Amino acid sequence: MATRHRFLIDGHEHSVAVERDGGAVTVQIDDEDPVAVDATNSGLPGLFSVLVDGEPSTAYVSRRGAGFEVTVAGRRFTVDSATGGSKRRGPVGGLEETPGKVTAPLGGVVIEVHVAPGDTIEVGQPLMVIEAMKMQNEVQAPLAGTITAVHYSKGDRVDAKGDLLVEYDPAETADEDDPAGD
Amino acid sequence: MFKRILIANRGEIALRVQRTCRELGVETVAVYSDPDRNALHVRNADAAVRIGPGLATESYLVMETIIEAAKQTGAEAIHPGYGFLSENAAFATACEEVGIVFIGPSADAMHALGDKVSARELLERAGVPIVPGANDIDANDIATASCEAERIGFPLLVKASAGGGGRGIRLVESAGELEEAMRASSSEAQTSFADGTIFLERYIEPARHIEVQLIADNHGNVRTYGERECSVQRRHQKLVEEAPSVAVTPKIRARLSQAAAAAATSAGYRNAGTVEFLMDSDGNFYFLEMNARLQVEHPVTEFVYGIDLVAQQLAVAAGEALPDAGDELPEPHGWSIECRINGEDPYDNFVPSFGLVEYVQPPLGPGTRFDSMLFDGLDVPVFYDSLLGKLIVWAETRPDAVARMRRALNDLVIAGVQTNIPFHLELLKHEDFIAGAISTSWLESEFTMPAVAEDDPREREALIAAALAAELVRGNGDASVASGPVSGWQRGARASAVHLRTRNGGLRGWQRGIGS
Repeated sequence: MATRHRFLIDGHEHSVAVERDGGAVTVQIDDEDPVAVDATNSGLPGLFSVLVDGEPSTAYVSRRGAGFEVTVAGRRFTVDSATGGSKRRGPVGGLEETPGKVTAPLGGVVIEVHVAPGDTIEVGQPLMVIEAMKMQNEVQAPLAGTITAVHYSKGDRVDAKGDLLVEYDPAETADEDDPAGD
Repeated sequence: MFKRILIANRGEIALRVQRTCRELGVETVAVYSDPDRNALHVRNADAAVRIGPGLATESYLVMETIIEAAKQTGAEAIHPGYGFLSENAAFATACEEVGIVFIGPSADAMHALGDKVSARELLERAGVPIVPGANDIDANDIATASCEAERIGFPLLVKASAGGGGRGIRLVESAGELEEAMRASSSEAQTSFADGTIFLERYIEPARHIEVQLIADNHGNVRTYGERECSVQRRHQKLVEEAPSVAVTPKIRARLSQAAAAAATSAGYRNAGTVEFLMDSDGNFYFLEMNARLQVEHPVTEFVYGIDLVAQQLAVAAGEALPDAGDELPEPHGWSIECRINGEDPYDNFVPSFGLVEYVQPPLGPGTRFDSMLFDGLDVPVFYDSLLGKLIVWAETRPDAVARMRRALNDLVIAGVQTNIPFHLELLKHEDFIAGAISTSWLESEFTMPAVAEDDPREREALIAAALAAELVRGNGDASVASGPVSGWQRGARASAVHLRTRNGGLRGWQRGIGS
């Protein structure tokens, strides 16, 4: 009796099939060869000791929304569920943003807010300053437009990279103006 | 010795000072901001006083509140740690005025050393080598400045006398750039420090950052404890420190030690202190600045000299004289390396990472020390710096110490916050680092954090763990494992997860996920 899980790591989908036969567990990732897995977590829910074909590793798993965050040997993976309707994070920061929305380049504390709804903004204009671990990061307008909403005030904590900071109506621009950008 | 002292700091250094105090039978008073209420340094103290909200300017930097806390709790002295108020002469004076001992130098010594131009003049008189330069520069007198610049030679640096943290520094490659650099430096210094005084200094490159540890008492005794090598830096932030330095011979060490002691004596210095030097590839060294406090990297010196610098700080602050050690300089024994463990993502341009630390497994074993504020469940505040802890190792030789550090970095598990441990592991593999062929610009110009391999085996392990966790949470496969060897962890884990939820519903991680 196999259970199949579908996960996303860094935008790549993976399938993980778990087969149980009595006490024995076999795991197949994508189309790799199946491997024998022995796992225990000794009472601390997230802390897994895993033997893969007898080779030990330690993973710490915590839940994040419908997915997980897994730390293995110093690297932290965001493992989203590819089936469970998890919120997929959009691109973050700068010109890759969805027009009309500005998201946080990192979590931190908002120490300056330079705009209010109704303000017109130019490309590159400072919108906010977010400070984390004593480093200040200026959030700039990716496009010109008019501010429609500012979701944080001075002193507020921004929990994570990608959180929505500011919404705006992008200005109508002549597309041919500067097709190459810079 | 004091009966009770207040520690005006937080994080790993507050704990570090507490540990020595406890060993000496000195009681400690902790101060804390609101987000630090649950911090280890609060729980580990004999008394604790709230000093304000998260912003340091409203808590750890408010002198009156901290002095009031010391008075209320009967603390006889204040240990400032590093950062915050540790090099604030006004704070030292304010402590003195109410009869509380400031565990640091006198305000006069801090003034003398804090202003860069006056420190250069003071040390030049004391015979300490300083970087060739010109002290009396008027930002508007370009003619004189040009003459001085020709004498010093290019490239050179324009610096602010009151400068710090890299502000007010301009690199000048040729005579044509001088005037603009002077104007920019002076106006930046005026804005940042309300003092537009500037000076010129030869730009020494490549240079190592070599610093000498010393301790000075109230009776005119100064003792030095050799050098530390701190050349691995990013944006003027030290990341790896070691003692001794591969570039320092016993002869150079003797000259460095003598220069450092002369610097301390000339300023009437008391307390543990560090004299920083730039050293060129020929072993010539020049005074850079003096840090009038305990340094972050002090443990590497403690390891190779077998000393406790905090204990010595407390002793000299209490008025004790350093025991006479004769004229012989102490010899370093073995090799020590420190890696600063920061909450930052080496795979994403070292962007800060903070939040809930869910699980910590500290490295143990021979020659391993971990000075840290971490515990399972710590919510790392965003208000302070990204230093989570310091991993320090000691071994007989440098190659052994590098191997031990690799082992210890692999033993250290921190889950929930991304740390720079992978960066340190890559750094320790680099042939330049292994050869000790480094300078202050080496990290930024020569080292690139390798991208994660496409077939990183950790990804497979993460997927397997995620699948098993998914089954644990959703209850998949229960029937098939009811009596098998795997059932134990599933049942046990779910029981403890539910237990957590009932105690603390709506929190994070596992707790939030259960039943959602």
